[in-house]
Formats: sequence, structure tokens, C-alpha cells
Amino acid sequence: MNVEITGLTRRFGTVKAVAGVDLQAGPGVFGLLGPNGAGKTSLLRMMATAMPPSSGGLRLLGRDPGSYGPRREIRRRLGYLPQNPGYYPGFTVAEYVEYFALLKEVPPARIRVAVAAAIDRVELGDRRKTRLRTLSGGMLRRAGIAQAIVNEPELLLLDEPTAGLDPEQRVAFRALLRDLGQRATVVVSTHLVEDVAAACAQVALMDRGRIVFHGTPDGLAARGDGGHSGDTPIERGYSAVLAQTRS
Amino acid sequence: MTAATIAPAASRLLRLELRHNAMAWLLPVVIGLFWLTTYRKDMAMPPMWNLRAAGLQSGAVLDFAVPVTGAAAWMASREVRHRVTDQVTITARPRWARLLAPWVATTIWAMVAYLGCVAVLYGVTAHQASWGGPLWWPAVVAAASLPAFSALGFVLGTFLPSRFTAPLAAIAAFFLLALSTELIHGSQSAWQISPIVTGPWDLGPQAGVAVFYPFAPDLCIAQMTFLVGVTVALLGVPALPAGSAGRAVRLAAACLTGAALLAAGTAVGLAGTGTMDAHGMIDIPALHDAADDQPLRFTPVCSDTTIPVCLNPAYAGFLPATTDALAPLLNQLAGLPGAPDRILQVGVTYQQDTGNGVIIRQDGPRSGATPSTAHLVFPEQLPEPSMTADQMASQLAESFAPDLVARVIGNGRGTSQAQNAVARALLTAAGLPDVVDRTASTGTGRSDGPGGADASGQPDVAPGTPAYAAAERFAALPASARHAWLVQHLAALRAGRITPAQIP
Repeated sequence: MNVEITGLTRRFGTVKAVAGVDLQAGPGVFGLLGPNGAGKTSLLRMMATAMPPSSGGLRLLGRDPGSYGPRREIRRRLGYLPQNPGYYPGFTVAEYVEYFALLKEVPPARIRVAVAAAIDRVELGDRRKTRLRTLSGGMLRRAGIAQAIVNEPELLLLDEPTAGLDPEQRVAFRALLRDLGQRATVVVSTHLVEDVAAACAQVALMDRGRIVFHGTPDGLAARGDGGHSGDTPIERGYSAVLAQTRS
Repeated sequence: MTAATIAPAASRLLRLELRHNAMAWLLPVVIGLFWLTTYRKDMAMPPMWNLRAAGLQSGAVLDFAVPVTGAAAWMASREVRHRVTDQVTITARPRWARLLAPWVATTIWAMVAYLGCVAVLYGVTAHQASWGGPLWWPAVVAAASLPAFSALGFVLGTFLPSRFTAPLAAIAAFFLLALSTELIHGSQSAWQISPIVTGPWDLGPQAGVAVFYPFAPDLCIAQMTFLVGVTVALLGVPALPAGSAGRAVRLAAACLTGAALLAAGTAVGLAGTGTMDAHGMIDIPALHDAADDQPLRFTPVCSDTTIPVCLNPAYAGFLPATTDALAPLLNQLAGLPGAPDRILQVGVTYQQDTGNGVIIRQDGPRSGATPSTAHLVFPEQLPEPSMTADQMASQLAESFAPDLVARVIGNGRGTSQAQNAVARALLTAAGLPDVVDRTASTGTGRSDGPGGADASGQPDVAPGTPAYAAAERFAALPASARHAWLVQHLAALRAGRITPAQIP
């Protein structure tokens, strides 16, 4: 298992953003669904080693990120796209991705190829020399994905990766997710349940810091019925599980 | 990462950082500041290595340190300002190493610009200076201040990241440098560790310092030690927090920071033991090399006037103007009993007075070590505003010519009216009426007796007196007639046996 989480908790003052989550994930695309404030981003940030948990167990890629050495080893094999990724406006797309390749300690001999491959995979090849400040929001998001995958991560964490992408790009991105999921564990946090339905083999639904559903997209869809809101079966399943949890 | 991959990766990272460094954008500003506040000032001073080198510390450090502090703070706060903290935090490269890259790039840009400015300043000086070579210690101290201030900005930007950090850091650096010298009292102060201090602060850059005696690098060594210590300590600080680097790196950083602080503290202590020596430089007993107290050997450059004027070769550029100013007088005095065989420029000695005062005296006896040599001190060797060669020659004639005449004609208490009349006539005939008239009009010629010259040897002859008329008569004679009369009557004149009426 690339992700092993037991009783993971994260508090911000008196607020429990993540309240005792148990989760396991192996290779494949894992969807993390939930309403605003459910704790998805906090959980993803802990999994990305950007934030330490308040309590609970967390093992990533078979290592304990609590220690410096293993954490560094995990980070070499990790890709992360935050919900609101920042960027250096003066950098070109290629420089931005190269910068992260260097920080992720991609072997120097492989950097040029890795950068080109990552940029091509997000279809920004014709914009590689364009400065980030001139890119649209969707293009910036794709550049952010490129930096996340430049080190061919074994664990890829994507927080709202399709926000700002147009429909054509979202379809292409789902294909990319499926491809990445062949070898790596890809955790995608999103509001867009149709992305999960199209690309994820496993899905977890979070609400108020807890996982309230863990299964397949079909299993989630099966939880819904005509009495719950949603245009698609999975959306209705999503609404049904949340309603059931809150009742 | 292995050693084989660290270097190429670091060089690629550095290249990226160099391409996107704020300091690169500030270079025109920095170079403009250098030109405005350092280069122009230095070029207005005589082309002497000591003066030009001092400008690097007193001027260039401020020009470069303030912008580099701001640029380093700006770069170090970049991750927070651009909200990339999470993205970079989860990368494998240690935080400390990641943050160090923009610091290195900032410092490289500043250093390249600084070295370029030094090259221009020293290149121009090499073409202008008549003697000596570049003084590297002040240039090195100024260079060492750049990484130190860059590190200061780096630490401020790292720990207090915001868009306001950079301007505030730059302002703080300016006040730190400008105000650090305010606390210097006398020549013995630990605040002399400030990199803008080039020597005794009350004295300022002096043309005469490090010309007749070697440059004493004592203070520069202390300043260098301090700056290197501060730089290392500041750079070590970001590696100390948990998670910034591995245990071994953090331990090494802690040891290095401690050692660097110790070195910096020691340097401050050493600077506090320094005192101004007789040659106008700071001597630190623990660092002082006794060889620096031995006078420099040099062959003076001499004029081909009837009485040769010999200057330190560093002042060779002033020789033509000096010769032009003094030659008419020297031609009149040459061959007379008591006239010197040559005039030799000598150094001055410095002594700390009470408070912030400095007493400056001519090095050696005023009249010369031997009766045949007259010693002179250039106005430029004294704490005077910078002058052109002509201005300096004019001032030299004003201060030195009356002394020289008095030496031949006789001076001191009881100088006769006839002696004063002849002295005035000689100065007038030498084209130095300004000296005489200024003395008369301002009344600076304080009488020492019935006739008398003032203490500085200026002849005191009041218009309308027989002595004044005699002076006018004698000055109007042909030079050869004056000279012949002096050869014949000088002994009697000096003995006070000549009256104004007897002067032709």
C-alpha cells in the first residue's frame, strides 16, 4: 500500500479539520470527494508532508514521514498540486517545471527530458517558453500539474486539478489520470463528481473531517435514488450519503 | 543525490535563480548610485591609491549594501509572496539548501557589479596615479560586506516574509551603516568595525596616509573577520529550525553559527583595542605588523628649478603646478646664504586630541633635517577640502613661500622693518602679491615688535610707512640687481644693521 492512514487527526485550535481518518490506497486513481470544509485539503496536505498531523498514523510509500530521512525519500517520489498553486510570474513554463524538477532532485541528466515530457503531457509544449504571468488560469493549472508529475511520482496528490480547465482539457486530463494511475497512487480531491466517475477506481467521501464512504464509484452511485439531488447516479449517491450521515 | 549529481543540479538551479533575481534589476540603480556618490567623489580627489581605495569602503559599501539587503529580503520572501510554500515545502531538497540558492544568486549579481565598479575605479586610477599600486584591503572589506548584508536581508526575508520586508530591510541596512559610526568617540571604539570606516573616523580619508608609511591593514583584518563571521552565522540560522535540514546538517550549522559568532565577537573586541597611530591609521596591537611602522622607501621626483622641489612620487602630478607657483621665488633665493639646496616634501604625524579632535604636525623639523633642505607639507596632506592642482599649488605658495623667505631673510622676534620690506618685495616680485596684500588687509600680520613679522613669517608692512616704500622700490628693481644687493647685504640685513632707507 502506498498510503496507509490510521486514526489521522488534524486540529486547528479547537476545530478538528480531520477527525480520525482511516484510509489505505494502492496504485490507481483514488477520488476524494466532499463538500467545502470537509477536510479534504487538510488530509491531502498531511499526505503531501506539507503539514504534520496532530495525531494518528501516516505511512507513505512504506515510510514514516515523521522522520527527516524517510520524509525526504518520500518527497523525492511525491507530486503535489495544491488547491491554489502559486507560481513565479517571471518564470517560463519550462523554467517553472525545471525548477521543481531540481527541487525534487530529479537526476540532472534526466531533467531536460523529464521537463519536456511533463510539459507535453499537459499539452503545453507550444507554450514552454511563455512566461507564466501571460498564461490563462487553465494553462496555469496545467503548468501546476506538469510540475507535480515532472519527477514521475509514485504518489501524486492533486487538489482540485480540473478547476479552470475547459471540457476538452478535462477529458484529456482524465485520460492522463488513468495513465498515471497505471503505476502510481493518484489521489484526486475534487468537487466534480463526474471526474471521479470517469477516472477513479476507488473513491472516498469526506464530511466534517471523517470518511463517510469508501468504495468504488459504482458503489457510491448505487447509494443514490430518485429522492436525492443530482443529475447523474454518482451525484445522487453523493447526496444520499451526505444526507444519511447528517441525519 | 550523490556528489556527482549535486554540482550539476546546483549549477542549473543557480542559473535559474540568476535569471530571475531581483538584484539583476537593481544593477542600473546600484551602478548609478556608485557613479553619483562614490566614483565622482573619488575622481574629484587627487589620483592617489589610498584616497580612491578609501572611497570603496566609505562610499561603495552604502551604494551596494542597501540594495543588496533589500534584494535578498525580496528573494527570500518570494515563496510566501507568491504562495508556493506548499509546493516547495514538499520537495526533497532541504529548505535551507533551497533558500540558499537565491541568496547565492543575489550575492553574485551584487559582487559582479561591485567588481566591475572596482575595476573601472582602479583602472582609471592606474592611468592617473603616478606612484604606488592598488590597495586591496579596503576593496576586499567592501566586497565582504556584500555577502554579509545579503545574508542579513536573506534572514529577514526568510523569517519575516512579506512584501514590506524588502524595503524595510533596505532602510534598516542604511540606518545600520549610517548610524553605526555615530557612536565612535575618539580613535578607540569597537564601532570602528563598521565596514564604512576606513581609518580613524574623526580624520576621514587623508591623502597623506599610507603614502609615506605602508598601509596598516589591522582594522581591515578585523572588519573582514567580523563580516565573514556575520555572514556565516546569518546563513547558518535558517538551517537551525527542525525540518530545515538533516540532523547532521543542522548540527554542523549550529557549530558553524556558534564559531562564526565567536569570530565576529572577537573581531569587534579587537577593533575596540585599536588606536590611531602616528601615521593616521588604526593599529590593533594583536594584529599589528611592526614592519608597517617603517617608512616606505621611494625616490622623490624633483623639479629642475634653481632650488629643486622634491615631492613624494605619489604627488608627482602636482609637481608642475608647484614648480610654476614657487619657481619665481626660488630663482630669487637661489645662491643666497641660508637658502636651501632643495625643498623636500615630508609626511605628517597624527595624534588623537581630547574628544574627537586630531592634532596633525609636520613629520620632522620644519626647517629640514639638514640646513640645506627645507621641508614642506602639502595642503592636501592636511584635513582640507579637495583641491585642484592649481588651487593646491596656490595655497602651498601662500603657506610655504613666506616661510621660505623668512628662512633666508631672517624671522622671529625683533625682525627689522628692513627685513620685512625685503621679504615683502621678494614675494611681490615672485608674483605672490596676494600673500602680502591678504596679510595687510586682514591684519593677520600680528606684530611681534616695532617692525616684526607675524608668527607664520608673513611680512608685516603697513602702507605709507618707509618700509612699505622701500619694499615697493626693491620689488621694482631688476631681478639681477635685487639678487646682487642681497648677496652683498644679506648678512647685514639679517643682523638688523640695514634701515629701510638703505634699501635701493
